[in-house]
Amino acid sequence: MKEKSDAVSTVEKELDKKLGYRSRNKQRLMMVLAIGILGIIVLFIYSLTMGVYTLSFSEAMGDFWNILTNLGPSDDMGEKIVYYSRMPRSIGVLCVGAGLATAGAVMQALIRNPLVDPYITGVSSGASFGVVLVSMLGISIGPLATISVPMAAIVGAVVAFGITMLVAEVAGGKAMSYVLAGVIMSTGLSSAITLVIYYNVQDYAGVMKWMFGTFMDLSWDSVVIMFFGTIIPIIIAMTFARKLNIMLLGEEQAQYLGVDVCLLKRCLMVLIAILAAFCVAYCGVIGFVGLIVPHVCRMVVGGDHRLLIPTSAVVGALLLLVADIFCKTVAAPSELPIGAIVAIIGVPFFMYLMIKEGKRYAM
Amino acid sequence: MQCEAPEQMTDFLCGGGRADYNTILTVDGLRFGYGSEDVLESINIDVGRNEFVALLGPNGSGKTTLMRCINKVVSIREGVIKIDGKDVDAMSKDSISRLCTTVPADIPTDFSLSTKEFVSLGRYPYITNWWWESKEDNDIVEKTMYDFGILHYANRRIHELSSGERARALLAKGVVQEPRLIMVDEPSAHLDIKYKVQVMEMLRGLSRSGLTVIMASHDLNLASRYCDKAMLLHKGRIVAYGPCAEVMTPESIREVFDIDVKVIHDHGIPYIIPTPPSEGDIEFKVELPGCEKNGF
Repeated sequence: MKEKSDAVSTVEKELDKKLGYRSRNKQRLMMVLAIGILGIIVLFIYSLTMGVYTLSFSEAMGDFWNILTNLGPSDDMGEKIVYYSRMPRSIGVLCVGAGLATAGAVMQALIRNPLVDPYITGVSSGASFGVVLVSMLGISIGPLATISVPMAAIVGAVVAFGITMLVAEVAGGKAMSYVLAGVIMSTGLSSAITLVIYYNVQDYAGVMKWMFGTFMDLSWDSVVIMFFGTIIPIIIAMTFARKLNIMLLGEEQAQYLGVDVCLLKRCLMVLIAILAAFCVAYCGVIGFVGLIVPHVCRMVVGGDHRLLIPTSAVVGALLLLVADIFCKTVAAPSELPIGAIVAIIGVPFFMYLMIKEGKRYAM
Repeated sequence: MQCEAPEQMTDFLCGGGRADYNTILTVDGLRFGYGSEDVLESINIDVGRNEFVALLGPNGSGKTTLMRCINKVVSIREGVIKIDGKDVDAMSKDSISRLCTTVPADIPTDFSLSTKEFVSLGRYPYITNWWWESKEDNDIVEKTMYDFGILHYANRRIHELSSGERARALLAKGVVQEPRLIMVDEPSAHLDIKYKVQVMEMLRGLSRSGLTVIMASHDLNLASRYCDKAMLLHKGRIVAYGPCAEVMTPESIREVFDIDVKVIHDHGIPYIIPTPPSEGDIEFKVELPGCEKNGF
């Protein structure tokens, strides 16, 4: 027995020497978080310099610091612009990026299908339908818009998601049932949106911005709701990280390890729907973040969700912030729709991913 | 390792007799089915501690279903299943997972877990830390991986392993779960003969070190060579259960598998050799289309 344990410790020592074996994952997580958060802070301050009123990086940093220490802007013009117009937008971008990426990572483990994202549950098409309907009915004009549009989005998302879930559960609750039900739901709702727009072409411009995804008119009120609506589900999702690892083994194996698969799946599905609904409610449909970010992260840090979820959240926030800065600078002073930009970058990348990884996933 | 030799115990167990000895698993009057059909009927078995039992039967005879019933993945219609004296029906999934587990023939490998992360998942029922595994868990995982000869693959992704290595990783995951009873579903299905023997040696080693092993298998000869007892399952009923030499007779094999075999005994171990069916008994006759025309 002693011989054996000696042999174990020599093997261990070798591995420790080579890879820092035992604490490898912890170190990786710390590194990813450190780099990610540093990157987010730098890019966040950089994003505050963007706009018609020019600010240098150090000015923006000073203004941001003053706002933080004084808990609000002073009479300085720069601080006011940073506080009222640029900060909410950048914070909103970060929340949505982190939220969508987390939702995607959880979804891919839950459905056991690496080519799905949060929208597959019908959330985005439901939200779009809600917004289109409200706009066409003329409820979204004037001050009402700040409440009615996100409300319509959330209601639409939750209702569409509910129907998707119901169909999937009745059809046997298999992983594939959720995908199929979601795809069917999305197709149906997209057609309904087309019909509504077809009969109200004159009002189309109003919803177009939302449907492409935009962070243009974010107020602090919306951002506060967005912040809590995304951060709380992300934290809850992280507490499920270990259970999600177990889910990777398949449902039966998860049961052998004592996990109540049905309950877990339902809880997390609802959580993801809420998270995705808050992500689309204020800024519209932004695809591909939820699909691509978890994949990129999985390639780098592996499939352990204790690493994958925090990494996805940080990388998702970073990616969307970069895309937002890109949208603001390329065609300044006007800006490009962020949803379209992310998708344009996303489509070729996704195709590449499908060609490279698709076969291995046994689709 | 001081264990009672099961060979001595098996004397009074012949014919599935319900002797009062150190049992780990008791199944009493089990009935189970999907829909209106019964898949398993009046199953009564006792499995003793440290035994290595082979579960044999044709495809669809209910081997996997029986294992699922014991592991409470499905809920049974009638009967009582007791593991280590405790009624499975009254136990939570969590406590069952600490008593009993099932190792599948293969797993999907389309996720990017390293071999060590994969084996560590078996510690799930015991982990109390909220984020990472504790040092003790880690030591158990590394020790088991060493025993199974896969510690040097620790950082390799699970889909990069060969099927033999993956079979060992799967077993290691089952063992770190520290159950009292481990059920293995066709562990050697996709392996060549070398790995088959390796896996069988490992399973027997486990059963000698305090774990009870039930193995579903299609390989009658490997089962009779390595297992203490065999259980023949046919159409959801147990046809024979007892020491391999008594269970594996030409008559019982004929009844269960519908083939004629010759059984040769070597040092008390039965070896089964299929004999070709006589001309009149051939059920399906396959000929190349057009072979008559071509004059073959």
